[in-house]
Amino acid sequence: MTTVTLCVPILVAALVASNAHAQGAPAPASSAPPATVGSAPAPATAAPPAAAAATPAPQAAAAATPVGDPAKGREKTVMCQGCHGIDGWRTAYPEVYRVPKLGGQHEAYLTKALQEYRSGDRTHPSMRGQVAVLSDQDIADLAAYYAQGGVATARK
Amino acid sequence: MRAHPIVAAAALMTFLLTDAAAADLAAGKAKATEVCAACHGADGNSQSPDFPRIGGQYPDYLAKALRDYKAGRRKNPIMAGFAQTLSTQDIDNLAAYYSSQAPAVYFKP
Repeated sequence: MTTVTLCVPILVAALVASNAHAQGAPAPASSAPPATVGSAPAPATAAPPAAAAATPAPQAAAAATPVGDPAKGREKTVMCQGCHGIDGWRTAYPEVYRVPKLGGQHEAYLTKALQEYRSGDRTHPSMRGQVAVLSDQDIADLAAYYAQGGVATARK
Repeated sequence: MRAHPIVAAAALMTFLLTDAAAADLAAGKAKATEVCAACHGADGNSQSPDFPRIGGQYPDYLAKALRDYKAGRRKNPIMAGFAQTLSTQDIDNLAAYYSSQAPAVYFKP
C-alpha cells in the first residue's frame, strides 16, 4: 500500500514532466488510469504533440510550479550580485543602461522574466548565461527573495 | 581665475537644463494616463502580479525595455501593440515620468 501511495504522486509528476517536454515518457504503468490522458498519443509525429502540449502546458506548469523560499533565494543571489547587487550598475553590452531594480517587484513577473531568459524569449546575453543553469526551484526562490517586502519596503 | 567656477557652474546648469528638457515629465504623465496606467498604474505601482511595477525604476532601463518592445527584440503581444504607438520622445518622456514616481521597486542587493 505504501509503495502504491508513494508511486502515484511520482507517476503523476513524471507525466506532468513528460507532457511539458511534448514527448511521451515510457509510460510503464499501464494501470495508471485517467491521469494518463495527456500522454496517450505517444507515437504521433512532432508537430501535433507540440501544438497539443502547448495548450495543457499552463495547467501542468501551474500544477508543478514550485513554491519559492525567500531565504534560499537569498543564498542563490551570488550570481546576481555582480550586476544587480551594485546600486546603479550599468550594463556594458549590447546596450548601456542601468540594470533594473528588482526589490519589491511582483514575484510572478520575476519568475516569468527568468523563465523567458532561460527559454530564449528574452535575449540579453548575460542574463541568458546566468539563468541557463537555474532550475525551476531556483527561479522560484530567487523571485520570492526579490519580491519579498513589496511596495511597503520600497516606500518606507 | 575667479570666473572659472562661474563658467563651470553655468556650463553645468546648461547641461542640467538641456538634460531635463530632453524628457518632458508632463507629457510623460499625459501619455502614461492614456496608454500605460490601466495595467501599470498611474504611478507605476501595478496592482496585478501580471504587470510589473515600474514606479521608481531606472529611466534608462524603462526606455530600453520600451525600445525593445517597439523593435520586436522583446516579445510580448500586449506590450508590442502599445510600444508601436510610441515615438522615441514618448518613450523618453514615459521613462522619465515613471522613474520619478514614488518607488514601487527598489534596489535590493
